[in-house]
Amino acid sequence: MTGYAIVLASGELERLQAVANIASVAAASDIPIDVFATMDGLEAFDTETVENRAFEGGKIAQAMMESEDIQVPLFTESLGQAKEIGPLSMYACELSMDLLGKSVDDYADLFDDVLGVSGFLTMAADKQVIFV
Amino acid sequence: MSETDIQSDVTIDSRGAGCPGPLMDLIGKVKTADSGTVFELQTTDSSSKNDVPEWVEKANHELLDVVDHDDYWSMFVRKS
Repeated sequence: MTGYAIVLASGELERLQAVANIASVAAASDIPIDVFATMDGLEAFDTETVENRAFEGGKIAQAMMESEDIQVPLFTESLGQAKEIGPLSMYACELSMDLLGKSVDDYADLFDDVLGVSGFLTMAADKQVIFV
Repeated sequence: MSETDIQSDVTIDSRGAGCPGPLMDLIGKVKTADSGTVFELQTTDSSSKNDVPEWVEKANHELLDVVDHDDYWSMFVRKS
């Protein structure tokens, strides 16, 4: 097992949470994980979006944000916790940032580097790729 | 309700946290602890009942006991 490369291209909270949960537990279990956040998947990490909890989503997202009985850690928190204890690396898509005139500093402080497609393909060469 | 005589060295109170919070809390603590340390993970998340034993077995630690307190579970784990 050489781990997983997850392409996160969706800004839906359900998908963000699912990626964060799986990536976090895998990395904490010493399975190497690379997350490449691109398109709307990167925009979900925008610091203002995170701060205002302004995410797209359906029923599960709504239930998660409103739940008082079950505190589900937000995807940014899960990923941050996992980075401290396991082999989890996060990469921001250069094209997505260029289109919006942003820099990596505009996003949650989780990213290890900025990558283009070529960089991602090199990084993912020995990993199973999961597209979300 | 059931009881246990196991004495833990570290108690992790993850009650109220949803998946994968309790498991992540446990892994984080176990990773930095000495071999032989006994943990009590307190959880209200029902998926912990499956996730924790699976992780414990995969990571070669030992699940000592699971105690049902009616409104939460205590899962006792010894680090290998």
